[in-house]
Amino acid sequence: MTQETSNLSNTAAATRAFVDNPALMLRAERVCKTFTLHGQGGIRIDALSGVSLDVERGECVVLAGPSGAGKSSFLRCLYGNYLASGGRIAIRDDDAPLQHLDITAAEPHDILRLRRNVVGYVSQFLRVIPRVTTLDVVAAPLTVRGVDEAQARQRAATLLARLNVPERLWSLAPATFSGGEQQRVNIARGLIAGHRVLLLDEPTASLDAENREVVAQLIDEARGRGAAIVGVFHDEDTRNRVATRIMTMNAAREQAPITEPA
Amino acid sequence: MKPLMSARHLTKQYGGRNGCRDVSFDLYPGEVLCIVGESGSGKTTLLNTLALRTDADGGALTYTDANGAALDLLALSEPRRRMLARTEWGFVQQNPRDGLRAGVSAGANIGEPLMAVGARHYGRIRETATQWMRRVELDAERIDELPSAFSGGMQQRLQIARNLVTGPRLVFMDEPTAGLDVSVQARLLDLLRTLTTTLHLSVLIVTHDIGVARLLAHRLMVMQGGTVVESGLTDQVLDDPQHPYTQTLVASVLPV
Repeated sequence: MTQETSNLSNTAAATRAFVDNPALMLRAERVCKTFTLHGQGGIRIDALSGVSLDVERGECVVLAGPSGAGKSSFLRCLYGNYLASGGRIAIRDDDAPLQHLDITAAEPHDILRLRRNVVGYVSQFLRVIPRVTTLDVVAAPLTVRGVDEAQARQRAATLLARLNVPERLWSLAPATFSGGEQQRVNIARGLIAGHRVLLLDEPTASLDAENREVVAQLIDEARGRGAAIVGVFHDEDTRNRVATRIMTMNAAREQAPITEPA
Repeated sequence: MKPLMSARHLTKQYGGRNGCRDVSFDLYPGEVLCIVGESGSGKTTLLNTLALRTDADGGALTYTDANGAALDLLALSEPRRRMLARTEWGFVQQNPRDGLRAGVSAGANIGEPLMAVGARHYGRIRETATQWMRRVELDAERIDELPSAFSGGMQQRLQIARNLVTGPRLVFMDEPTAGLDVSVQARLLDLLRTLTTTLHLSVLIVTHDIGVARLLAHRLMVMQGGTVVESGLTDQVLDDPQHPYTQTLVASVLPV
């Protein structure tokens, strides 16, 4: 609560930003992330020290930088998967007062709603749900929004076909699929709902050139619809192919862990 | 959207110990909230207190009923509590034998709750029971067999059917998958997942199994020594645990 009070002037500025600039979709201000490992003597590891980023409709910002620079940690903070230790993250939300939700201060209930309606996240790995068919795994983000099941499956089929996932696999659970097949299922699931903010963490890591190009086209189409995208891509070709802007990140201070003061 | 259930500083003590202390949360319609923690952490005490099966010692508990009225549950009369439990709530026990009636058939176990809320047409009750047998993936041909004729996993699915047949809005579950084989567990989890989504159920579920929580819950509350030490979105609490106890809990899960 004290932090909320001290951030009052910043909050007011961000509020105006989302109202004044209809293209602004995401604003991260001085985001910090420190991990405290209580089981290991309270060692603290700084992953992010003050990262700021604005993303507008139709942009694809690619995060670059050496391994350990905090690219994935930053994406996870933007999704609310990691709790930011400092700073603010606001995302456009038409259902919220003043057209944005501050996810660093929001109730879980509101973040769930934002994830359903606004923010999508594609990780490198598919979290497999036993016994659910590929078609239903992909269609799920639409059905939880109340879209008719047949229609959702139709959309899922179209996307899976575009991503060259063989039709004979659609009625199977993806647990036994190859890494590349699982990743394409994951991408289809991440893109199907047309989220207006997309966070992509190495979505092309285990794909061949042909499928990487399909994903690049899907990203372009999402931008064309007005999506704001933040992504991490390990291969330089895809990075240059999809990026409208590249933000280079450096490791937070030095990598040496800091011991918690007693 | 109004919360379905709101707890504020809810406390239950047994002679000054072993209960739950100062628990606050809001549960919204359609949300699955998981209470995790080790044995003796107070999670079952909390569940029983929330379901009005044990009386709270302090705090406040509010529930929004089907008509949109906010009820002060701790002040509600006993007949109205029982009415609420019958019409709007379900309670799935860890041991199916505690939640089923051993002396009557599978079909009667599903049909009974319907009769308790006024259903009288025997043919229709049997038809509904048959549908629910299929829905929880039980052989409908076995509708006249006693619960004891079914395996543990099947009994648990029968108990779930008995609890969902009246169309509750809120379901309490106490370790519903404990004591089942892993393969049986996966099937039950998948079934629970499907049912909670399609029926838009709100669920309060107690488990010590992080895997169950990851698969079923939108949100988690982590309990230790009777208090909630951490709460938040399921993936956030499990991927970025803040409290020392939660970090130990997550680190103790064996990788698959």
